[in-house]
Amino acid sequence: MRIHLAIVLLVLSSALAAAQVPAAPAAATGDAKHGRELFESSLRCYACHGYDGQTGSPRLVPMGRAQDAFVAYVRKPSGRGMPSFAATPERDLVDVYAYIRSIAPAAPAVDSLPLLKAIAERRAKAN
Amino acid sequence: MERRDFFKGAAAGAAGLVVNKVSPAEATPVPSRPRIKRPTEADEFGYAQARGGANAGAAASAGAARYGSDLMVDVLKKLGFEYAAINPGSAFQGLHESLLNYGGNTPEILTCLHEEAAVAMAHGYAKASGKPMVVMVHGTVGMLHASMALFQAWADRVPVFLIVGEHRNPTGIINAPHSAQDMGAIIRDFVKFDDEATTPERFVESAMLAYRLAMTPPMGPVALIVPAELQEVVLDRPVRIPELTIPSPPQGETAAVREAARLLVNAERPAIQISKIGRTPKAWDLMIELADTLQAPVQVGTNGSWQKFPSWHPLYGNGGRGYTPDVLLGLEVGEMSNQARTARESGRKTISISSELLFQHSNIHDYGHYADVDLAIAADAEATLPSLIEEIKRLVTPEKKTAMAARGARVAAAHKEGQIKAIEDGRYGWDASPVSVPRMLSELADQIKNDDWAIVSGHQFTGDWQRKLLNHDKPWRYNGDCGGFGIGYDAPASVGGALGHKKAGHLPIGIFGDGDLNFSPGVLWTAAHHKIPVLLVVHNNRAYHAEVMIVQRLMGERSRDVSKANVGTTITDPNINYAQMAKAYGMYSEGPIDNPKDLAGAFQRALAKVRAGEPALIDVVSQPR
Repeated sequence: MRIHLAIVLLVLSSALAAAQVPAAPAAATGDAKHGRELFESSLRCYACHGYDGQTGSPRLVPMGRAQDAFVAYVRKPSGRGMPSFAATPERDLVDVYAYIRSIAPAAPAVDSLPLLKAIAERRAKAN
Repeated sequence: MERRDFFKGAAAGAAGLVVNKVSPAEATPVPSRPRIKRPTEADEFGYAQARGGANAGAAASAGAARYGSDLMVDVLKKLGFEYAAINPGSAFQGLHESLLNYGGNTPEILTCLHEEAAVAMAHGYAKASGKPMVVMVHGTVGMLHASMALFQAWADRVPVFLIVGEHRNPTGIINAPHSAQDMGAIIRDFVKFDDEATTPERFVESAMLAYRLAMTPPMGPVALIVPAELQEVVLDRPVRIPELTIPSPPQGETAAVREAARLLVNAERPAIQISKIGRTPKAWDLMIELADTLQAPVQVGTNGSWQKFPSWHPLYGNGGRGYTPDVLLGLEVGEMSNQARTARESGRKTISISSELLFQHSNIHDYGHYADVDLAIAADAEATLPSLIEEIKRLVTPEKKTAMAARGARVAAAHKEGQIKAIEDGRYGWDASPVSVPRMLSELADQIKNDDWAIVSGHQFTGDWQRKLLNHDKPWRYNGDCGGFGIGYDAPASVGGALGHKKAGHLPIGIFGDGDLNFSPGVLWTAAHHKIPVLLVVHNNRAYHAEVMIVQRLMGERSRDVSKANVGTTITDPNINYAQMAKAYGMYSEGPIDNPKDLAGAFQRALAKVRAGEPALIDVVSQPR
C-alpha cells in the first residue's frame, strides 16, 4: 500500500533513451496487432508510457530507435527505471516495436487544439 | 444462529466423534444449564447514567442539571470549533447528546461513515481554513480506525483535535475492548500531545493546552481521552474556562538570519526550496517577495505538501538546466540530507530554516536523516521570512541588484521554456481512450477558467500536470498532499477541504485515483448528506499503477516473468463503476467516461450542481499517468 518514491525515478529516468533522430528508422518487421496486445496486456509498457506511448521519459512516439537497437535496449536498459525484458522472446519485442511504430508519431499542433491553445495564451498573459 | 447455539451444536458434533454410539433411549437427559444474563450495551448505558447521580434524570428533565459533557461543549465553543466529525460510539454518548441538546449542534456534527474519513476530512479542512476540526471517536475501535489518517496529519504537520471516548471501568463484555490502561499510548507516536481527562477541570486545562500545542509550529494532531463517566457526571461546582492564548511562533535568531542573508546575497546562483511553508496566507506574499528580492528560483518539489508559491511565476522551478545552486535555502523542508551532502562535496552551501528542528518523535522515521547543512535555524520559516527579507534588502547593493536582475531574467527564460514544453507535451494522446491526464485537466481548466477555484486534493498521481496546466496564482489554489505517503487521504480530505473553503466561496475540486477512493467511499455520502459543494474527479486508471511499475521492474531485474505484474496491483475484472457508486450514496455523478469528447459536457453539468451548492462526481477512465 505504500507509495514508493522510487516511482518518480521510474517515470523520469532515461528508460528508453530513444534518441530523437531526424530521420525515421527503417520500417518495422513485426506484427503490430500482437505487439499491441503485449504492450497493453502482458508486458504492460502502457503502465509507464501510456496506451499511446505518449508518456514516460522519454515518450515512445515518435520512435527514433531502430528495431535492433530497440530490442537490445529493452533487454538491457540503462539506469534503474526501466524494467529489463531480458527473458522476453525477441519475436515479442519485435512485435511491440511494430506496434509503437504504428502509432501516429506526430501530435496535433497546439494551435489546432483550442483548449491547449487557450492555456498557452493564459500562460503567456500570466507574466 | 446465536453464538451459544453455535457452540452447543459444535460441542455435540465433537462429542459424536469420540463417544461410543448410544441410542436415544439409553441417553441420560442432561439438565440444561441455567441461562446467565450477560450485560448488554444498553445495560452499560443505564449503569453509566446511574453513576451520574440518583436524581440526574429528574434534574435533567427540569433543565437544572449541568453535565460534564455540557462543560466540554462550552470548551469546544470557546475554542471556536465549527465542525465535529464523528462516527458514533457509546463511549462519547454524553458529548454527542450535549452537542445536540445543550450546544444547539455547535460545533456542527458531520456524520462520517468511517473514522479514517473523519480525521482525513479534518486534515483537509485545517489546511483549507487554517484551523482545526474536532473529531470524536469511540474508544479503541474508533481510534484504531482513525489512526491511519491521524498518522498522515502528523506527517503533514497539520492540527487535528481528536476526542476519544472511553469506557474506563466497564463491567460488561461489550465495552471491555473499548477501554485501555493507556489509550493514548496506541497513537502517541503520531500525535503531538495526548492526555486523559480525569476531572472536569482537567478536561478544560488539557483541551486548552492541546489546542495551543496543535497550533504552535510545528503543528500536529492532538488527542484527549475522555471517559464516559466524566461526560455523564452531574457538575456540582462551577468550572472556569480560561482564555485561549496561542504563542507567537519562534523566529530565527538574529545573527543566524543575518548570516543566511549574507550567504544568499553573495551567492551567484542561490535557490530556494520549500515544503511545508504556508501556515497562513501571509506566507504566499512573503515567498513572492523573497524570490523577487533575490531573483532566485523557487523549487517546490513533486510530492511534498503545502508549497505555497505561484506555479506560473517566472521564478517557479529549478532555474533551468545547468543552474546548480551555490547556496540552497530550505524552508520547512523536513529532509535535506541529500542536498547537504552533495553541496558539501563541491563546496556549495545549504541553509535550513525549519520548525522541524524544534520537535520530533522517535519511532516513525518521518523525521528523516541527519542533514549536515552549513546553517540550521530552528524556527518557523514563515515567521522568520520578514526579518530575512529585510536583511537581504539591506545587503543588496546597486551592483548586486543589477546582477540579480540578470540572473532572474535567465531563470524566467528557463521557466518559460519549460512551460511551453509542458504544453507541447500535453498534445500527445490528446484524443486517446482511456483519457490522457493532460486532456482531462485541460477540459477541467476550460470549465473553471472564470471561477475562483481551489484544488483540495493532492497531486502526486497526476504528475506535475495540475501546476503546468492550471495557474496556481492564489494561496488557496492547492491544498497539498497527504504527508505520510499513504493512500486513502485524497477523497475525504477533498470533502473536508471543500468545507474549509465554503465561507470564502471558492469552487473546490478534488482529483484523486480510484485506488484512493476505495479506502473511504462512504465520504461520498457525508458530502451528499451535508450538502458540501465539491467537484470530485476520479482519475480512474483501474490500478495501483505505482506498484504495477515497481513489481514489473523487479521481475525484470530478476530476469523472471514480467507478465504477472497485474496480479495484486490492478483493479479490473470486474471494473468498478464509481459514478454508480456515487449515485448509490446520493450524489450527482456521470461516467465512467472513456471518450475525451464527453468530458466537457460532463464537467459543465457537474459544475452547475457544485455552483448550486451540491457535491458531484465525474468518473474518468484515464491513462495511468
